[in-house]
Amino acid sequence: MMQANGQATTTSVTMMAKDGVPPIGGSTKKHRQLVYKTATPVVFILFLLAIWQLGVRLLNTPKYLLPAPSDIWRAALKGFPDLLQAAGNTFAAALLGFLLSVLLGTAVALLMMASKWIRWGIQPYAVVLQTIPVVAIAPLVVIWLGPGMNSIVFISLIVAIFPIISNTNLGLSSTDRNLVQLMRMYKSGTWTTVWKLRFPYALPYMLGGMKISSGMAVIGAIIGEFVAGIGGGKGGLGMAITSAAVQMQTSFLFACTIAASLLGMAFYLSVAAISHFTLRHWHESAIGSDKD
Amino acid sequence: MNTTAYLETTAEAEAIRIHDVVKQYENGTLALSGIHLSIREGEFVSLVGPSGCGKSTLLRIMAGLDQATSGQVQLQAGSAANKEQASFVFQEANLMPWRTVLANVALPLEISGVPSEERKARAMASLEKVGLAGYANSYPRQLSGGMKMRVSIARALVSEPKLLFMDEPFGALDEMTRHRLHEELLSIWSQSKLTIVFVTHSVFEAVYLSGHVVAMEAHPGRIKQVVPIEEAYPRTNAFMTSPVFGEKVRLITNTLS
Repeated sequence: MMQANGQATTTSVTMMAKDGVPPIGGSTKKHRQLVYKTATPVVFILFLLAIWQLGVRLLNTPKYLLPAPSDIWRAALKGFPDLLQAAGNTFAAALLGFLLSVLLGTAVALLMMASKWIRWGIQPYAVVLQTIPVVAIAPLVVIWLGPGMNSIVFISLIVAIFPIISNTNLGLSSTDRNLVQLMRMYKSGTWTTVWKLRFPYALPYMLGGMKISSGMAVIGAIIGEFVAGIGGGKGGLGMAITSAAVQMQTSFLFACTIAASLLGMAFYLSVAAISHFTLRHWHESAIGSDKD
Repeated sequence: MNTTAYLETTAEAEAIRIHDVVKQYENGTLALSGIHLSIREGEFVSLVGPSGCGKSTLLRIMAGLDQATSGQVQLQAGSAANKEQASFVFQEANLMPWRTVLANVALPLEISGVPSEERKARAMASLEKVGLAGYANSYPRQLSGGMKMRVSIARALVSEPKLLFMDEPFGALDEMTRHRLHEELLSIWSQSKLTIVFVTHSVFEAVYLSGHVVAMEAHPGRIKQVVPIEEAYPRTNAFMTSPVFGEKVRLITNTLS
């Protein structure tokens, strides 16, 4: 009882020691928790993989139905040059689609801000764009732009643009009114106000949209490659997945899928890092609660 | 009617002349009715009154942030000064969180196209006036409320205005910080030829700072009385506890109630 009381006092004291050097007890506890938090999912996936490996071996499941993790690993190593080239092509298409969606999406949002007629005219169709199944319009895009890179990039763009438009629009329209008034008082022109106030104010929103779009651009590129990819390694991951499926190379199919998801993750993490770097001085999302 | 009399008899230059200003909102509410006021150059004038008396609206009309329904506002009639030489300090500091303190202060110069070197030098000089030169490269989030307000004042001073409009600038600050800022503001004011129009709901603040206190009442917003505070500047803490101070506070409080 006494000891429990003593401990409670210690923790409340250490909690109060803010700002300064973190209290030793709390720090190691936090540190240990962080290690557990990172290690747990790793242990979990290793556990699942072990069960998978063991199950496939014990049940003698045919490879084309469900390959063991070791088969996937071997297929990935064997087809590595192809896999790398395919991933490289998908990366190029997704990057282009993403960058174009950022440029175009921001431009559309700016136009929507500048004129209520444009806003009223466009808004419903921006939503419609979001609800049309991309797989359904992809063949149309191929008819118009021909198979290959153009169509793939365009499909990636269609998939990735909506979060950019909607978030930028939200950011531009939620500018602090007092600051708008301040700019008006300084006789700032419309575009000066956009550049010096509305744009920086909207930046955290835009970066949020870009984080969502980054992963979607990769998915869009792969969908594009399904319908518009050219044969061989040039077709990207989408094409590699299709051909592996047709040839029943299930192990390589798995390897391609994993590569695609790694690519999407790398994309997302890069954009998240850029976002953090851009906002690190001033935005709550990048500062972290412990520093304030 | 007789509210303007105290100034029209003097020969000193007028900074602001307000003639029969009326402000009516679209819903018919009369925010200001028949306002006559004249403010001399270099004076410190406060507008006090209960909420709804239109003191902020009157200030915004003077500053050109709001339009009067009828009547005229003339800023330094006849002289070269105009609205370009007026600055406004809002109730909140209104700083841009992504700009450093220095860049926030330099903003008005940036918008009017002052070259980069000059605007840095002037922003720095302005920050020195409010005692924050050491924080030039900090971001607003790193500053306390009082410091943010100082940055806001430095930003208002950077364009070297003739007129400074302040809308309850210290309302959100604690007593100690507020008093320190009072002294700093008075010292900045006495070192320049600034005319300050200051809106507050605190009678104490108004009496301590001002040469004239304009007491307003609500429904409709109008000027009840203009009370001169004859105490000489620089004013010290002793003034706050003097019988004269108490008398003026009592007079204005009675006028308002």
